[in-house]
Amino acid sequence: MKKIASVLSMIVLIMSCSNDDNYEPTTFENPELDLNIPADFPLLNSSFYDNIPTTYGVELGEKLFTEKRFSIDNSVSCSSCHIQTSAFADHNSLAIGVEGRVGLRNTPPLQNLAFMNFYNWDGSKLQLENQPLVPIITHEEMDSSILEVIGKIENDPEYEDLFEKAYGDEDVTADRIYNSIAQYEYTLISANSKYDRIQRNEGETYTTDEAQGALIFEQKCASCHSTALFTDQSFRNIGFPINPNTEEAGRARVTGDIEDYMSFRVPTLRNIEHTAPYGSFGQFETLRAVLDYFDNGVIASDNLDPILKDNNNRIPLTEEEKTNLIAFLTTLSDNEFLGLEY
Amino acid sequence: MKNLKKYILSAAVLVAFMSCSSEDDNPVANSVTLEFNNTFGDTPIILGDATSSSATVNTSDAGQVHHFQEVKYVVSNIRLIKADGTEIPYNVNDLDNGATVVNQSNPETLSYVLSDIPVGDYSEIKFGLGVRSDLNTLDQVSFPDFYDNAGANDTQMHWEWGTGYRFTKIEGFYDTDNKELSFHSGSTLEGEEGNYTQGVDAYRDITLTLPTTAVVGNSAPTISIKADFDYLLSGDSYTVTLVSTEDITNNATPSAHTATEMMKFVDNIGGDSNTTSPGMFSIISIEN
Repeated sequence: MKKIASVLSMIVLIMSCSNDDNYEPTTFENPELDLNIPADFPLLNSSFYDNIPTTYGVELGEKLFTEKRFSIDNSVSCSSCHIQTSAFADHNSLAIGVEGRVGLRNTPPLQNLAFMNFYNWDGSKLQLENQPLVPIITHEEMDSSILEVIGKIENDPEYEDLFEKAYGDEDVTADRIYNSIAQYEYTLISANSKYDRIQRNEGETYTTDEAQGALIFEQKCASCHSTALFTDQSFRNIGFPINPNTEEAGRARVTGDIEDYMSFRVPTLRNIEHTAPYGSFGQFETLRAVLDYFDNGVIASDNLDPILKDNNNRIPLTEEEKTNLIAFLTTLSDNEFLGLEY
Repeated sequence: MKNLKKYILSAAVLVAFMSCSSEDDNPVANSVTLEFNNTFGDTPIILGDATSSSATVNTSDAGQVHHFQEVKYVVSNIRLIKADGTEIPYNVNDLDNGATVVNQSNPETLSYVLSDIPVGDYSEIKFGLGVRSDLNTLDQVSFPDFYDNAGANDTQMHWEWGTGYRFTKIEGFYDTDNKELSFHSGSTLEGEEGNYTQGVDAYRDITLTLPTTAVVGNSAPTISIKADFDYLLSGDSYTVTLVSTEDITNNATPSAHTATEMMKFVDNIGGDSNTTSPGMFSIISIEN
């Protein structure tokens, strides 16, 4: 018995030696990216500091973001639904995954995520690094698994090179995949719209309509769509038409709190001109339709947002106000961010 | 370093196994079999589709007839407690070797064998209904076997959006017109481990005192456990009336896949997290 044990421990020693032999720590150059953090933006999500974007981490993340082998049949990548010219959203009412499967909600745009404290419509995730696994495994999205993804890409020389450059060796691990994608997403900062340039006094001015719209916005929208992100990141039930899918409960899906039933995170309005349709399941085709709905009155409920309750369940707007509001909202379009001519 | 630890560990495990087998006459360990009996009261559950004539039909305290087509739940974090209070954890941090999906439609899964349990007299068993939060991350890299088993097409115990496991999955029918009933549970906790800032914990720790001692030695005992699904609608915590209305404050919708409705059912079958109630679980018998 003792003999066997000592033989075994010798094998262990030999194995560990050979392991150490393979491990050659190489110094590698992978500088942190110098992100241009807008002065008036809120604080960064604290997870950012545990996963600071690096030159090659971001390059790898961007490549992974467009990697169709993430999906079971190699047909869908992150960027299939998160399209740059749509502020990394798309124009479907509901997200479409492999084999045309239809998801629960509207694809959210990806912008200024580094400054957000809640992710997804219901705030189910609090750090970006925890999010990439969700679409990879979800039946209606990519319907794959992380080991399947790793198996498909780990012997690809391009990835070997990028993982080496980003992390010092070519090991393709789950955490490296999640972190790289999050690093890339951290760099998606939109802060160069006409609105921003006016805020920075760079010489541009609003048209009359836009200026009128900005005033109405301050009066009737900015209590929720606040800060430079144009969302206060609160969860509110604003009485929008309800998703018929029984999986939907809004924020209550996460918290179990009846007070959160059909509440959703106040969406950012940046690049809103480019992210139609609107609402958690794409209920509204146009911005005008959203404003008409607010003007006509929303669905009453016990947990309807107090601001709406105090205003007879509506946000009254004249037709001219709607036109001007939309004019103002288009000044939040950032063509540089969208990859459009500017 | 990590690898080195693994090698040493597996070597140690091998050594442990070898030492056992060489001393058959005076065993230091033996197996314990957990047998799960899914019932309505004392009647074993027979599954069936909407119009099945063989399915076991139950009537809730609210007077609603119901029967099931699918009954699945995860058991993990198993601990056996000796009469002297010593707790023997069974691979409690290893889902591949210490967790299982009990699936009523698959008889093999109704027995779960705990191997290599140290000799002794056991008077109590503890286990989790669901997966402890620290392990509930759908970590395929660490626990590929449990991940695959739980995610198999005929099992479907991944809760994708919460990146955790489904702890229970019950599909069935209720009322005389056989409306669909669907109940899934899982945790939605998020934040730093141990310092969760949002979400619900649907994991329930179950403690059952054994009516007679389970003697591990030359004998390899079987602990027969009852899971009485009458508790789902008629539990100690809630008497549930299933109502197909959008007014979710009016008791429970028959399709509970979200945390809003889920916790009523979780408390019924797993016990309120603030009490030591074992929910639907009890011990039927010990066979030594």
